[in-house]
Amino acid sequence: MHSLHFRRTATVGLAALFAFGASGAFASLPAQAKAGSKVSVVHGIPGQPVDVYVNGKKTIPDFEPGKVAGPLTLPAGEYDIALTKPGDAIADALLTVDNAEVPGDANISLVAHLNEAGKPVLTPFVNDTAKLAAGKARLIVRHTAAAPAVDVRAGGKPVFEDLTNPKEAKADIAAGTVSADVVLAGTQTRVLGPADLDLKEGTATIVYAVGSAEDKSLDLVTQTIDGLHSAPGGVPGGNGGRADHSVPLPWYGAGAVGVLLAMFGLVRLATARR
Amino acid sequence: MTHDGARPRRKPGPALLSLIAGAALVTSFGVVSCQDRTPADFGTPPVAAPVSTEPEPAQVRIHDGRTPATAATDKPVRLTIPALRVAVPVTPVGIDSSTGDLAIPENVNTVGWYRFGPDFSATTGSIVIAGHVDSADAGKGALFRLDTLRAADTVTLTGADGHTRTFRVTARERYRKTAIPLDKYFSRDGSVRLTLITCGGPFDSRTRHYRDNVVVTAVPA
Repeated sequence: MHSLHFRRTATVGLAALFAFGASGAFASLPAQAKAGSKVSVVHGIPGQPVDVYVNGKKTIPDFEPGKVAGPLTLPAGEYDIALTKPGDAIADALLTVDNAEVPGDANISLVAHLNEAGKPVLTPFVNDTAKLAAGKARLIVRHTAAAPAVDVRAGGKPVFEDLTNPKEAKADIAAGTVSADVVLAGTQTRVLGPADLDLKEGTATIVYAVGSAEDKSLDLVTQTIDGLHSAPGGVPGGNGGRADHSVPLPWYGAGAVGVLLAMFGLVRLATARR
Repeated sequence: MTHDGARPRRKPGPALLSLIAGAALVTSFGVVSCQDRTPADFGTPPVAAPVSTEPEPAQVRIHDGRTPATAATDKPVRLTIPALRVAVPVTPVGIDSSTGDLAIPENVNTVGWYRFGPDFSATTGSIVIAGHVDSADAGKGALFRLDTLRAADTVTLTGADGHTRTFRVTARERYRKTAIPLDKYFSRDGSVRLTLITCGGPFDSRTRHYRDNVVVTAVPA
């Protein structure tokens, strides 16, 4: 098991990261215009269940590694987040992030994980919840493991290359099952997988690589966000023309010719009788 | 050769012929225009429920982060519309990747169920079944007379396990394809309903497309 060297000083920079990562685009909006954000918490540190505190309140008790909690709906604002060993006081927190800014109208994943050097950190990711075209699924891969750069392959072909901790890569692809694995960047050395991923239509599937290569605790944690579907572009239901019930144009012509013929005939008959 | 009088009497033949032919044409036009009148729309489909603002659960939901297993869908296998004497197989369909349109089965005697939307056992949302009204090669399709369905007609779906689910027609609408609110008909929210879609309206023989879509909405009977 990886020994956790939790140091508050290690997280000082993270508050800034959290604030920056999530708020950049929204910073200029007036506070009143901001709706609540959806915040999920992902536990990607092997071997250590935690209690999650938000603003001093125990929000997620006994949170197990490999699990995803939420989403919590949090109004835009600043939050103090702390992770403790289950039952411990906040003062003995394993990891804290103070004044983390949650912007409005965003979907955020707050991930407790190891950085590349194996230190526990808390990283916020803003989730792409843009609507997907009909038939598509979104695959998002996040490198949150104590491991070097990797390539993510689908069906043996690299789809995301040279991904480093704590970066993400994403693509919108046809919904369905893909066989994915993770190799050391530029090599065939498989460090994770292969795993069959069922990428559901209209859903974002977020795959986190977690754990530590050194401790052989690498694993995958997945989070899904559904409801991103849209309707098909159209419903093309026929090309024969037999169901056209409108009166074809030639019939109007025939009708008009008929009226003229009948009038002509009447006139002729009338003049003939004189 | 004799002359009857100073003013020769013309034969009525051509005039009569002209009168009769004219009357026949006018009658035919009348018959054609009355016979195939496009039926009027009726009813309004249930509106998709507004996105419910779920109350914040007392306890935060915890999800297992394991890779989700392939979700099994409960596909309908047969569509029966007694009023139209339609009983046809249903096949799962997705999206035509080249157009982004619904990929309706080529076979006009088969209808397609939109496999990404609500399935046979769905309790919310719109179960969508679409079929060709006709095709240039194969003639009339399974849903050729969809636009004659009336309120309270029944439509039955059969599931893979042989169970059936009966729906009652509540609405029939015709929209230009450029204006049809597809989001509403492909909604995955709101009360469960069955939506049948085909083509209709004027046919453009140059592009070989119908102008409109005919949509029938049915709710659980």
